Amino acid sequence: MSLEAPYRSTGKAMMQVFEPQRAVIQKSSAVIMDGRDESAYGVVISPDGYILTKASEFELLKDPQVLIDRKRYKEVEVFGTDPSWDVTLIKVDATNLTPVIYAESSEVKTGTWVVGNGATSMFKRRVLMGVVAANIREVPAEGGLAIGVQLKMEKDQLKVEKVNEKGGAHDAGIKEGDVILKVEGKSVKKVEDIAELLNDKEAGDKAEFICLRDGKQVKVMVELKVKKDLFGGQMSRNDMMSGLFSRRRSGFPRVLQHTILGARNTVGGPLLNLDGECLGMNIARANRAESFAIPVENLKEIGERLMKEAKK
Amino acid sequence: MHEIQLACRYLQRMKRIFTATCIGFLVVTAIGAEDERLYVNNKKVPENRQDLDAIQSTLMKVLPRARAATVCVKLGKGSGSAVIVSPDGLVLTAAHVSQDAGKKVTLVFEDGTEVEGKTLGLNSETDAGMIQIVTKREEEWPYVEIDRDDASILGDWVFALGHSGGFDKDRGVVVRLGRLVRLANSTFQSDCLLIGGDSGGPLFDMNGKLIGINSRVGKELQSNMHVPMTEFTKYWDEMVKGEFMGEGPFAQKAVKGNGYLGMASEAHEGGGIKVTVVGENSPAEKSGIKVGDVLLTMNEKPLSKRDDLKEIMKDLSVGDEVVFELTRDGKKETLTVTIGER
Repeated sequence: MSLEAPYRSTGKAMMQVFEPQRAVIQKSSAVIMDGRDESAYGVVISPDGYILTKASEFELLKDPQVLIDRKRYKEVEVFGTDPSWDVTLIKVDATNLTPVIYAESSEVKTGTWVVGNGATSMFKRRVLMGVVAANIREVPAEGGLAIGVQLKMEKDQLKVEKVNEKGGAHDAGIKEGDVILKVEGKSVKKVEDIAELLNDKEAGDKAEFICLRDGKQVKVMVELKVKKDLFGGQMSRNDMMSGLFSRRRSGFPRVLQHTILGARNTVGGPLLNLDGECLGMNIARANRAESFAIPVENLKEIGERLMKEAKK
Repeated sequence: MHEIQLACRYLQRMKRIFTATCIGFLVVTAIGAEDERLYVNNKKVPENRQDLDAIQSTLMKVLPRARAATVCVKLGKGSGSAVIVSPDGLVLTAAHVSQDAGKKVTLVFEDGTEVEGKTLGLNSETDAGMIQIVTKREEEWPYVEIDRDDASILGDWVFALGHSGGFDKDRGVVVRLGRLVRLANSTFQSDCLLIGGDSGGPLFDMNGKLIGINSRVGKELQSNMHVPMTEFTKYWDEMVKGEFMGEGPFAQKAVKGNGYLGMASEAHEGGGIKVTVVGENSPAEKSGIKVGDVLLTMNEKPLSKRDDLKEIMKDLSVGDEVVFELTRDGKKETLTVTIGER
């Protein structure tokens, strides 16, 4: 004899008892659509329509539109991105939205119930539930390699903002102000491009970088080192932003792990506790059984910073 | 159908309370709050916030002890999990994790502490396995209670622990909450999510009692199999004694005589056999055996000719240890060699 599907721990019969949390998801989560297809979710962080979502998923959309509660917004403004957390700030022209209420801390005990976005219809958001599964921690970049630079996007160019003394970039003579044009012979437009090209490299391998320095093109060979070797002891936020070239299921400075399994690309929505407060933003479905969220303290800081830059 | 299930559960619960009261005062006082069945387990599904909070707070109450007793089992390149069930270090795991009796394993606690264990018996048909911690220490080992009453019912809330994907000190043990979705004779099925590395880890009821050992993932994402405690209690003595039971598929009996030491020797005047060649990177070299050593005994058996060593090797397998008593430059020494794979 088996337990019927609706009664399983995440089955339909569980949905009723999570209605209060679903009601929060209804108002305070955004559905990011690509034309008519649901592609990702987002966290509503202001009444006038600022939304945080997963950058590497949002980037892929050709015709992004946003659905919040029962209203669809066809115009979406795109603001800044934080590459080390993979978060993008977007905005729709709205009034009177209900932003999420941030929980005081994400450091909740393992076993705490959590609720996130599940499948959706045009009018009704649905939820999935699970529990916090492990200690909050860093998830190192798969391969865990870095060249040791902090990059920023300036006028569509990848500019070196800071160089880590211990990194391969420093050894190769890369300087602040250099613009990275090509890696391994291919043009790069954003951090993820570099990640793709260095994907198969191992610690100790060298990669060819072509940079623009004082109007001239410079070619250098840069050694890839194990990330941990570049950052002794505590990593500062700046350290964390330096070239962590990683696929976006890893390489997060801090994650809250939970058991809600969304589909691979339906991440970006808020993770709520039973009180309906936001514990974080779903950022990755890492494997068969692990999902990660950006903890609320970090999400709050990212949101405030990106909004401040957007309003300049 | 649901009504009948509910009624059965109610009757079982009533029966238990009735039996308890009849047996007497002593038993009633022995059954503390921890042994009481979580009331939500008697509901078809949680109905309100209070029910959810009850599951959560019960889980958090029993988690610390459960986590302390759950260890990672290091096996060459891979890993599994296991759980300590007695204060003197008896450990339950999956047969496909321990693989054979008499093998040395390393067990890692959540805080990173490593201890040595020796595999005991197993049942290769049900995937039940046992390990004994051999590292000695003053304090008792952290352990959990086994459910010896087979008290689980279909639909019960349960939680599984494991070192998913391998040991990760920052992450710690991974916790999954779910329900029992199928109870068969030698398998429990839950909808807790398991992945590689969780094998051999524990499945608990909401009282923190061990009810199963993680065995394998099912076809669906949320269908995972566990070995029930009855499979352990049935063959407890045999497993403690180190018996390899069954014809698989969860473990294969080690092939005997398939390993090598990597050295050549010849009879030595005055007794023993003298080492004439030690292979580069061989098991013998790695354990410190040198050319010129005179090996006197092997696993306490005397050696007088080269064939003596060959005879003893025929009964041993890759991974087994052999202890040599030898003399080197007139001094007596003892060396242990782990038999290697050819």
